[in-house]
Amino acid sequence: MARNKTLRALTGESRIENQNKIAYLFIAPWLLGFLTFVIYPFFKTIYNTFFKITSESIGLTYFYNLIDKGGNYGTAFRNLYFFPQLFDFIVMEFTYVPTIIIVAFILAVLLNTGVKGQGIFRVIFFFPVIIMSGPITGILYWNGAGSLLTYADNIIFKMILSYSPQLAEALSGLFGNFTMVLWFTGIPVILFINALQKINVNLYEAAKIDGANGWQILWKIKVPIVKPTAFVCAVFTIVQLGTYTGNPVFYTIQNSIYDRGGGIGLASTFAAIYTFVVFLIVGVAWFLLGRPEKIKKVELSSIQRINMEALAQRRAEQKKGTVTAQ
Amino acid sequence: MNALLQNVRARYDRAKAYVRGHKAKVTHVVAQIAIYVFLITISYVFLYPVFRMISISFMSASDLVNPEVDWLPSKFTFANYAIAWKVLNGTVSLTNSIKFSGLMALFQTIVSALTGFAFARYEFRGKKLLYTIILLSFIIPVPILLITQYNMFNEFYQLIGRTGQGQGLGSYDSQMIMAFFGQGVNSAILIMIFVNFFKLIPNDLYEAGKIDGASPIQLFWHITIRLSLSTIVVVFLFSFVWNWNEDYVTKFLVGDGIDLFTNQLGKFDSLFSTRTTGLTHPDAGGEIQLVESFKMAATVISVIPLLLLYFVGQKSFVQGIEKTGITGE
Repeated sequence: MARNKTLRALTGESRIENQNKIAYLFIAPWLLGFLTFVIYPFFKTIYNTFFKITSESIGLTYFYNLIDKGGNYGTAFRNLYFFPQLFDFIVMEFTYVPTIIIVAFILAVLLNTGVKGQGIFRVIFFFPVIIMSGPITGILYWNGAGSLLTYADNIIFKMILSYSPQLAEALSGLFGNFTMVLWFTGIPVILFINALQKINVNLYEAAKIDGANGWQILWKIKVPIVKPTAFVCAVFTIVQLGTYTGNPVFYTIQNSIYDRGGGIGLASTFAAIYTFVVFLIVGVAWFLLGRPEKIKKVELSSIQRINMEALAQRRAEQKKGTVTAQ
Repeated sequence: MNALLQNVRARYDRAKAYVRGHKAKVTHVVAQIAIYVFLITISYVFLYPVFRMISISFMSASDLVNPEVDWLPSKFTFANYAIAWKVLNGTVSLTNSIKFSGLMALFQTIVSALTGFAFARYEFRGKKLLYTIILLSFIIPVPILLITQYNMFNEFYQLIGRTGQGQGLGSYDSQMIMAFFGQGVNSAILIMIFVNFFKLIPNDLYEAGKIDGASPIQLFWHITIRLSLSTIVVVFLFSFVWNWNEDYVTKFLVGDGIDLFTNQLGKFDSLFSTRTTGLTHPDAGGEIQLVESFKMAATVISVIPLLLLYFVGQKSFVQGIEKTGITGE
């Protein structure tokens, strides 16, 4: 039977063949850009790490140098600045990200309690997202506008300092720049509020009937439900911190490009190692927050089970009753 | 006297009884106050750098070194702003910043909308894979891409003979090309905002359009775009702000070629010495201290356009982030 065009448009099968072409047309610019400006550079830079590259008048010339003292990787490991800076970066990520996530979550929970003026607070917490750029955070940081707390004279800080200088250093990095750290919470706060508002109110009601207090509701309902959001926020923050002025690795990579000695090969190696570290940190975040939660089996006592069964039976009878009534 | 005491006692007892009777209410009020105190404190910490910045930007050199002047300068003067404007090359930088951020935002919005439409409306081969790749591409650090991008553009410009002052790598062309192909700042997020919004448009509208014989382009224009003007504004604003604040990629691909607010601010110190020669400031104190207040004035200047945008489109920004729908789905 010959179907007319309208009918064909409405049925599923013929649509799919057409859709492939149309959809690819729509994503063509993006796909093209993605292949040339993301996929190709990504692998090209990794490929670059195996060569010593010098810039000649005819273009770039490549010398394979991996065997010679570990090539670029060897040079990178022997570099006096790169690995200490990378280590600083890792410390920064591991102190900043948990702080940002926790502060953002606390702010979101408080804003979600229905305080008046919620809108004003949201405007305040979000506005750093709008003005935050490398130079501005840099200027505010160097002028000490970021440090608000005089942590150095604090007795607890001195105790930590005598106990472990490394920990104290990490903490001073955090508190010395606490305002700037807070400025990263803008987007996480909004995401958390959004996630909290999506929680079904019935869950709270049910918990309250079972005698749960606010604290238990927070830990047993809110925290598990917003965990996926926390993962999104963590990834977002990790990426944002990567482009932050306080990140020491960035400028080492940039400067090494113009450096005659190492050249593009060494710069690529720095970038590749840095990328690997960032992926590793995202992996850690996924391990801690992103994995789907195992559903615990609830053990019911015999009385509870009898009650539940009785309830189910009654419900079934009611349903039957309504069906027959109709 | 006794009567007064009794009166007070009675009042106290009544208050106590009230508290006992309305325990829940009282705890609620106390909790509310605690929450407000906490939120206001945090807000203060948030805004502290901005207040500090504005306060310093009005200070003269003598105010900066004067320990008695903490927040309020001894006299308000816009002199710092005038000098900061000159150092920033204000008029040129402002026009350039607006022009380039606007153009980049326009390109990004268009391409993200097209891409988002395809992902939201159609089922095509490799859709899931590509969408996952978009999400993953967000976490690829910029330097690893930039090195090769820089070389690519360098070769490209040499090939077409666009090298020299204000051309090729000294111009905004490279970033423009990348934005045009959907690879600007945070493109992944913009695409996600569009995908999630376009998914909300009921399928019936498209079916109706198809029955009337509309082509995919017409469907896209007359249904999707017409219905999502607010989302388009959101994406444009975000893109604009992010492009405005972007400085790392610009430093690589543009260098000193073009004066923009953000990159001028980044090298304020070196610009200050070259652009203010011949300017004598009435109270020349410590050199570094002097620059500080000009620098703060320059920072305020470069932030004002963004703040204006934020106070106009404040709701859009917050909604935009909510619309990404990346919260767990």
